[in-house]
Amino acid sequence: MREQLLKSFVDMDEQEAVKIARELVETDGGAVAVLDTCKEAMEEVGRLFEAGEYFLSELIAAGDMFNQIMEFTLPKLQGEEVASLGTMVLGTVQGDVHNIGKDIFKVMAEASGINVIDIGIDVPHEKFVEAIKEHKPELVGMCCLITLGVDSMKRTIEVIKEAGLRDDIKIIIGGGRVSQAVMEHVGADAWADDAARGVRLSKELLGKE
Amino acid sequence: MVSPEMQKLAEERAARMKAANELKEPDRVPFSGLGGDIIAAYAGISSYEYNFDFEKNRQAIIKWNTDFPADSPQGGVGGLDNLSLSVAFVDFPDLANSIFMLNGPMNDVLDMKFARFPGRQLDEYSSPQFIGGKNMEPEEYDELIADPQKFAYEKILPRISNNLQDMSSPKALATMARLGMVKAQQAAELMKTGQALAELGFPSGGGFGFGFAPLDYIGDHLRDLPNVVLDIRKYPDKVKAATRSILEVLFKLAMQNQHADTIMFPLHLNEYLSPKLYNEFYWPTLKEFILRLAENGKKSSLFCEGWHDPHLETFLELPAGWGRAMFEKTDVRKAKKILQGHTVIQGGIDVGVVISGTPAKIDEYMKALLGDMMPGGGYICGPNVGNLPRETPIENVAAVYEAIEKYGKY
Repeated sequence: MREQLLKSFVDMDEQEAVKIARELVETDGGAVAVLDTCKEAMEEVGRLFEAGEYFLSELIAAGDMFNQIMEFTLPKLQGEEVASLGTMVLGTVQGDVHNIGKDIFKVMAEASGINVIDIGIDVPHEKFVEAIKEHKPELVGMCCLITLGVDSMKRTIEVIKEAGLRDDIKIIIGGGRVSQAVMEHVGADAWADDAARGVRLSKELLGKE
Repeated sequence: MVSPEMQKLAEERAARMKAANELKEPDRVPFSGLGGDIIAAYAGISSYEYNFDFEKNRQAIIKWNTDFPADSPQGGVGGLDNLSLSVAFVDFPDLANSIFMLNGPMNDVLDMKFARFPGRQLDEYSSPQFIGGKNMEPEEYDELIADPQKFAYEKILPRISNNLQDMSSPKALATMARLGMVKAQQAAELMKTGQALAELGFPSGGGFGFGFAPLDYIGDHLRDLPNVVLDIRKYPDKVKAATRSILEVLFKLAMQNQHADTIMFPLHLNEYLSPKLYNEFYWPTLKEFILRLAENGKKSSLFCEGWHDPHLETFLELPAGWGRAMFEKTDVRKAKKILQGHTVIQGGIDVGVVISGTPAKIDEYMKALLGDMMPGGGYICGPNVGNLPRETPIENVAAVYEAIEKYGKY
């Protein structure tokens, strides 16, 4: 059943995937099996995206399927030990109010086992600092869609440095306007302009790949 | 008064653009120019002042275009796509065509939920931003298909504007009357700005209008981007039928702008869709739109947001000389290989390089770009996105303009 779930999920057969997951989750140890299989499927979808076989349309559909399945799976996992790869504070930087890219990344990052603390959009520099102090993440993810976000990321990283927190964390930037040049300009550790690459590099920064 | 010298300059600039648009080699590579938030910063004003004070806006535009003149003028009054309102009033061309770009003072009147302006909903140094939103449920596709205009008027406007919630109320009538008053004031201001630009040697006439891929209208204004991507899988027939209905309205709107010889299309969902989905749900109505415009003597200019690589070859289904494609992330060199002699290519300057580079690096970058892109013509040099942030080093901007003169001659 796990193999069928994996196949239908990766093939984007939503109805079939949800149907199998509903059956599997009711079996002994089924909830853990559903979770693990869906994570594996999301990872494969990400791989296909990076290989150029899948597109954002498939990432969004996969995220939607994942959320649908988790809605009835997570309540059955209470009390189970669910391994986390690490914690990430994630937000769209000050001045930018876009959320679509951030939200696509968030679903995929959570599916990969990263504990994501989403601090929203148009996040003031200081709020990143406060969130780092509060949640003690290994990773910080900053997103922007518009060009204004580039200098906002730079300023946010400066403020994190001034607070003496830069050495405790790795920073990945993401969004439509980021590149290697922008990463060097703002002083981040990695960059991604799509969610699949973002999750892969986040795992690398966490030392998990 | 436009001096004879400036008149001559305007003619040279227009001829340069025209040659490239006809897929030929001009005297020098046409340069669309750099601009965006930096125009306000260069004039020492906030984005709020730039967006709301038209006198300051004009002075900033004059200063920028005097010091950094390209082949087309840079700057404007900052607008966000306001297409639902134009669709709702498509039967009234004079109105519909003047309201499809929402600027700051217009939004003070309309109070649109999708819009964020500096000094209002945003910090005064921020850029105007369009955030979209879900304004329609999937159960409403049939109503949309039956009559997109009626649907926009009756269902969408009340959901997107805080001041048009009841279209038969005095508040709504007052809002539309006030909108007309604001537009009349703005028209006078824009005439003055246009005159000032003509005096700086920029060509006037040959305006442009806007067109939108029908599926983008659903994604940007009705269902929100991620939802429309899911709708394609869940309700494929309805989505397809909706794009056909919307095409008729959007084509009507584009054709109403009689002065426009070029229709600009900002593409959004192109990057989201696999070639299979693009070719089934996005491209057919966009292609028909472009072909119908061509039959009516209008060229199209497509801004291909994000990665357009998997869809490049679809342009070859259009007749050579159909128009222009501007690329954001797609490598213009790759596009040239496929589209040379068929489609005009615009772009190539990565704004990330202008923001973060040095004049020496930019000189090297521009030399390589122009060396690769100019041969054979049909190329307009320009940034990959239209907005340089306020903090962009001005010496980097100057380096781009200098490189155009240095390496851009044919």
